Amino acid sequence: MTKQHLKKKSTESFTLFLLIVPFLILCFLFAYFPLYGWIYAFYDYKAPLKLSQCDFVGLKWFKTLFSNPTQVKQLLTVLKNTFAMSFLGILTSFFPVLFAVFLNEIKCKPFKNVVQTLTTLPNFISWTLVYSIAFCLFAPSGMLSSVLIRLGVITEPLRILDSADHVWLQMILWSTWKGLGWGAIMYLAGIAGIDQELYEAASLDGAGRWQRIKNITIPLIMPTYFVMLMLSIANFLNNGMDQYFVFQNSFNKQSIQILDLYTYNIGMTGKSLSLATAIGMMKSCVSIVLLTVVNFVSKKTRGESIL
Amino acid sequence: MVIKMKRRIMKKAAAVLLSAAMVTTVLTGCGKGSSATGGSASSGDGGDDVLVLDVFDSQANFQGTQPGWFGKYVKDKFNIELNIIAPNVAGGGDTLFQTRSANGDLGDIIITQLDGNRLKDLVAAELVLDMTPYLDNCPNLSRYMTAIEEASKLAEVDGIWAVPSEVSELSATTPCDALEPTVAPSLRWDVYGAVGYPQMRNTDDLLNTLEKMQASARETEGSDDIYALSLFKDWDGEVMQNTDGIKGLYGYQQIGFCMAKVDGTDIQSVIEDDGIYVKSLKFFFDANQRGLVDPESTTQEFGTVQTKYKNGKILYSLWPWLGSGQYNTVEHTSEGKGFATAVIDDMQCLEYGCMPYGKMALGIMVGSKTKQPERVAEFIDWLYSPEGVRIQGIIQNYACGPEGLTWELQDGKPVFTEFGVEAFVDNKKDLNITDEWGGGSWIDGQSWLNYKSVGLVENDPDTGVCYNYLKWEDYADKTATELSKDWSQHYGGALNTIDLLSKENKMLVLPGTNYAVPEASTDITTIKEQCKQIIVEYSWKMVFAQDEAEFNSLFDEMKTTVEGLGYEQVLAVDRQNCEDQYAAFEAAKAVSK
Repeated sequence: MTKQHLKKKSTESFTLFLLIVPFLILCFLFAYFPLYGWIYAFYDYKAPLKLSQCDFVGLKWFKTLFSNPTQVKQLLTVLKNTFAMSFLGILTSFFPVLFAVFLNEIKCKPFKNVVQTLTTLPNFISWTLVYSIAFCLFAPSGMLSSVLIRLGVITEPLRILDSADHVWLQMILWSTWKGLGWGAIMYLAGIAGIDQELYEAASLDGAGRWQRIKNITIPLIMPTYFVMLMLSIANFLNNGMDQYFVFQNSFNKQSIQILDLYTYNIGMTGKSLSLATAIGMMKSCVSIVLLTVVNFVSKKTRGESIL
Repeated sequence: MVIKMKRRIMKKAAAVLLSAAMVTTVLTGCGKGSSATGGSASSGDGGDDVLVLDVFDSQANFQGTQPGWFGKYVKDKFNIELNIIAPNVAGGGDTLFQTRSANGDLGDIIITQLDGNRLKDLVAAELVLDMTPYLDNCPNLSRYMTAIEEASKLAEVDGIWAVPSEVSELSATTPCDALEPTVAPSLRWDVYGAVGYPQMRNTDDLLNTLEKMQASARETEGSDDIYALSLFKDWDGEVMQNTDGIKGLYGYQQIGFCMAKVDGTDIQSVIEDDGIYVKSLKFFFDANQRGLVDPESTTQEFGTVQTKYKNGKILYSLWPWLGSGQYNTVEHTSEGKGFATAVIDDMQCLEYGCMPYGKMALGIMVGSKTKQPERVAEFIDWLYSPEGVRIQGIIQNYACGPEGLTWELQDGKPVFTEFGVEAFVDNKKDLNITDEWGGGSWIDGQSWLNYKSVGLVENDPDTGVCYNYLKWEDYADKTATELSKDWSQHYGGALNTIDLLSKENKMLVLPGTNYAVPEASTDITTIKEQCKQIIVEYSWKMVFAQDEAEFNSLFDEMKTTVEGLGYEQVLAVDRQNCEDQYAAFEAAKAVSK
């Protein structure tokens, strides 16, 4: 290789590098730069003071969380809810797969499109609106109670939204309703990518519809499913808080308060921003550990890495 | 050649992408630009250009540009537009305050609390401007210099930093309301009459009466959705806020986790067995057991409750202003229907006294980043002028409104105009204002600041009578209704509730002092935040418990949990605050004498 060649190659690489620079900048700005905020966890921060005007307290907030049995008990309740919601979420993560498979079996195109559109739409409704729908239906003066009272089935209005019973179940039903169609999109794409010849060959061999689903469709979209599963396990502690935030009240708080919501409740509405940051930090660390473990397991068992 | 072209295109593409990225970062990087708009930046005389002022207002219940007649008045007078930023609308407690102050600019005008180290922190964070250079042009503010200096001391830095709200030239023990105290047993007088004006010795009797009233009202109206009580969670803080309407009947105010009797005799912990807070919860619990509490209480919001009062669905009002404000319209009162205060023998209703030093819990400040501080100061000064008080004072607080629109002087006395009668006497909600005043709705166009600069029972130097029209002779004459006559007759010719309760010695006035609650350390605040979430949560559960056993077990659970979280440490701080406030009472009373 001549010198000129080398130079040419390096300019070319540099040009190529320039192409990804904007994305590196964006990634840095939105994914790494915010980590600077972790510094708040080590200070005794009070709005509206500047950080330089606040005391450095070291690991105090991390210790606070475990400072006495009641604190630990609170945290355990919150973790119990978080794990329950995540676990239920993972259990129900197979629903979109089944939905996609069955939807794919519908031969009437217009009907299929209508079903797909209708099930995807709820994903775009914000949780606030979902709650207003829930409120209209299930509040003491809502449709359900009114109808049942008029029919004479019950005499007292039902307590659904403001009760501690079946909170997890309610929450998982709402999120399934909202996310089913959206979650199925990826699997539908996966199914569309399956070679049609496989189905033809199977039909020639006398396989029925059920057997084709069992032996061709499902095995071939499993890789997609596993990637999604891994990602959701890595996100075990991140349930997102908007759903729980809008549905929370004094009566269901013990069962609905997940880690994100707890962080928000004591950090933002309360004034302990530093403590909330500390919880957030620990959460991120646990997530990274979980992701690494899951990735390791995936490598060992399926020979595939997702990182 | 082709390769060269390709490279050039690629370079171009890279450049375009890069600049796009830069634009994005610049756009996302900088938050809101300066808010003062206008053509000539160099205008020294002010008034030439429209000045848009961002007002960060902890009390405002609306957000956006001030519309309607008040907006027009300010625009015409000062060429100022007010852009209200309201944490109450944004929700999420202190979040908006925190993010905006982290950004270094709260607004051109800041209306928020001064106590609890808030002013000190705002000054330390350089968010507030020293008003000293502008005070020479503020004749109205100079009347309240003692109060302003007292409030500015909270900053612990020399300078004039803030003007407290509700300043008064009356004594500290003068009731600051005109007719009704802050808390009093206000109930539907017509229904109370229908069940025979039963005598009430205590809150148990009140419950018996309410039970009879609910049955009677349901029978007369023929509907099952009338309830004696309806609760809401919107204002919950350290404790379930609605209990205020019960504990206030016995002269208790709440400071943190303490319930303090305002005559300085008793300080209780919120979780004390048989304490006033638990008694208040027990009252709601008993009411719920007897089917007197609206089942929607657990989920509804304040707005819904207001509508229910308006429609006559609720018979008891925790605060006199709530029920009467919604239900006592002319149509109702002329038929003798409406909310009025009944006497319970053992009560000592809580009432706030006037505040010679102003209210440290709320004040107004000039933001440090404002472009034209002299015009901002001029506007604030106007808020404290007689005209400002009349116009800016919000309707719910009974400010008499602009001269010429709602009232005029006749023989040296203020008398309602035709419009004033419709607005204040008839309480018409959908009243429109004439085009001369800017048109639009009377209610919607009122000041969104929701700020009482001067106490409204104060005398207006321009008219010689009170700013508050409820105390005007003309008002008394025009509002003599079946309801007020019946009430007055029942209580031996009493003029109004405050008059009756002071005669019967059934009212405790909380002296208006310059006491400002100091801020606790973050350790304490953190524990407090956790405890209060538990207390509010369990309070609601206790009120709606199935039976007394559950009520008690929930109470025990609440106690154990908060005590485990470190409740005692917070209580010690709050108890000290109560004692300091008691000391300030004595000083204020001495000044008053």
